[in-house]
Order: sequence, then structure tokens, then C-alpha cells
Amino acid sequence: MRLLKPLLPALISIILIVLDARFSTLDNLKRNSTTLLSPIYFVVDLPGQMMNWVSDKGSDTEQLISENEQLTNELFELKAKLQIYNNLALENQKISRLIDASYTLPANAVKLARIKSIAQSRLKRQMVINKGSNDNILASQIVLGANGVVGQIIQSTPFYATVQLTTDPTQHIPVKNVRNGARGITKGLAANKSGMKVEFMPSDADVKLGDIFVTSGIGQSYPAGYPVGEVVEVSTPHDEAFLLIRLQPLEDMNELEFVLVVSEPL
Amino acid sequence: MIRQRPQILLFKLTLISALLSAVSLPDIVQSAAPFWILIFFTYWLIYAETKAVYTFALLLGLLLDLLHGNVFGQNALALIASTVFILNVKKSFYVSNLSTQQVYVFVASLIYLLITICVHWITQGFDFSYLIFLAPLTGAILWPIVHFLLAKLKR
Repeated sequence: MRLLKPLLPALISIILIVLDARFSTLDNLKRNSTTLLSPIYFVVDLPGQMMNWVSDKGSDTEQLISENEQLTNELFELKAKLQIYNNLALENQKISRLIDASYTLPANAVKLARIKSIAQSRLKRQMVINKGSNDNILASQIVLGANGVVGQIIQSTPFYATVQLTTDPTQHIPVKNVRNGARGITKGLAANKSGMKVEFMPSDADVKLGDIFVTSGIGQSYPAGYPVGEVVEVSTPHDEAFLLIRLQPLEDMNELEFVLVVSEPL
Repeated sequence: MIRQRPQILLFKLTLISALLSAVSLPDIVQSAAPFWILIFFTYWLIYAETKAVYTFALLLGLLLDLLHGNVFGQNALALIASTVFILNVKKSFYVSNLSTQQVYVFVASLIYLLITICVHWITQGFDFSYLIFLAPLTGAILWPIVHFLLAKLKR
């Protein structure tokens, strides 16, 4: 009888796990409930906000702060846009007509967001940003850093949004090798602090240490030409048809302060 | 036993543990950090006389799932399983010295960890930072401090 008491709550938990993991029936309920938890996020992030505030007040004039902030934002956006031109230059060198990497961000398509110091599940690679559905940040939008792809929005509440990083094991990105255009798909490695692997590249593919992989744009989920990672390990496992390639993300997720959310359809 | 109403204490403990578990820490510390909600809930289970503990465990677990972006129900199931263990050793826990209590907290945390990992394995694959295996140990190590601080809170 004693063990029967926890049976019903346990059963409810299992049903919820199945519904959430296999279907999307709980998405609305989760989004609405998470919105109610926003005050907790706010309180946790308060020390970080105070630090930023004190830091800002430390400057001489308000104008200086404003200008500095504006220039930093502009520089950040320009650096992100520059990545595509660097990639195009490399593409032109190869005189490749087959690879279409002419994607450019439409005007006003990106929104600058600040990373919040709010912890997420230790079994996942996620982070929270300070923009949400009130700023037209929606699930499945892409998040970029100054050096490359950061991840994808998986949940948006009015004031916050959750970004799933490229290093999360459930995140897959179609990529190509900048040097020769060889294509594959990345998968995050949570066991590794900040790594990814490239899957489905045949064992005879030409991949070398130091090669840069960029988004290929296949599937239209990610814009083409954005740096994803650098090859730090290549090996051919015995009796395997595919190479074992490990990537180090070009964007250091631990040092990120701002990100760009691509808020227009690609 | 607790002098204030158990539900009020649980509310306070939930708030503190939710805030603690939402504080961003470096990756290594984050992975090895104790399961705060389990530790606080364990304290409440031991020192509060109340009914419907499994319902509270379910609700608390779901709250944590929402807060951390986990699979909905993952922490709830883990917390319910750990609660079963804690309630089975409740009498012994209550009269034990701190080091024996640490062993109980370690086992409860281990149950919590195994359930969480099993659900993660089934739903998303066996890929996570192995530092998480340190969480039961850190939970047990920090138990005397938590116990001392919560004893002050319940007065």
C-alpha cells in the first residue's frame, strides 16, 4: 500500500515525459507556464543587471555611454555580416558555380540580444537571452555571434527566449567544408565541453586539421556561409564508412555577451 | 519538528532552491552542483509532518523542468523516486547523526541522478558531461551546511 501512493504521480510524470519527448502537445502549456516563472529569471539575473548598471554609471558622461553602446552594436552586426563576405571570397577563389552561398541578411532582419546569467539544464546546452516574443523572437529563429553560429531559439516567452546551442546533442546543422565544399551534418557533443562532430562524411573525403566548416544552407533552416567550427580531430574508425571528425566551435559560448537573432524568414 | 506551517516552509524552500538552481555557474561547477531542489525537499520531508508529499514532489519536479528547459516530467519522476527512498528511511534519518544523514542524501541524490540520466538517455541519447556523476557527492558534502542554514530558516 505504501508503494502504491507514489504510483499515480509517477505515472503522470511518465505520461508527461512521453507526451513532451515524442509529441509537441505540451508546447503551449510549457510556454505559458514558463512565462509565469519570468520573475524567478528576473531575480536571478538581478546581480548581473546591477553589475552592468554600475559599470555603465562608471563612465564620464551619458552621451559617451550611449555612443559607445551604439558603436559596439554596430561593430558586432558588421562583424557578423563580414563573415559572409569572407566566405564568398573563398568561394570565388575556387570559381565554384555550383555552390550557392550568396545569402545576405535582409535589412532590419537581426535583433541584438544580451545573454542572461540564468542556468539551464546540466544535461543540455542551452542559454537564455533578454528578448522574447514581445520583440518578435520566435522559436526556430537562428542565433549568431560575432564569430559564427551560436544556435537556434527553441522557446520564446514574452520577456525571455531559450537558445539551444550548436553544441547540444539534439542540434544538427547542415555544413560544408570551406576548402572543398564537402558536405556533412554536425551534431553536438555534450560529453565534450564545447565540441561537435561532423557526421555522414565518407571515409575518402578530403578533410584536414584546421579546415573550417560553414553552414551549407541546405534545408533552409540555417543561412549559408556562417562559420560553425574548426576541425581539431580527423580519423577513420576501423570498418566504418564515415570519417570521425571533431569540430571546435569558432564562437566561444562561455565568453558571449551579446548575440544576434535573425528574426526575418530566410 | 517544524514550528511554522509545512506549506509555508515548503514555499520558502522551493523559492530558495529554484533561485539557487537558476544561478549561472561555470560549466564544471554547474555540472557537479548538488540537486538543490532534492536536498531542500529532503529537509522538508524529514522535518515536516504533512500529507500529499508525492503530489508536492510532482509539482516541484515539474517546476524545475520548466525552469531548466528539461523534458517535462523528467525531474518530477526523479524527485518522486527519491522521495520514496527518503520516506522509507525517514525515522532513521531523523535520529541519525550528520554523517549518516550524508549517506542517505548521497543515495537519494544517486537515485535522482540515475532516473534523470535514464530519461535523458531514452529521450535524447547517452550524451552528457560525466561531471554530473559528482552531483550526489557534492550534495552529501554540502548537506551539513544546508541543514544548519535551513534549521535557522524554519524557526
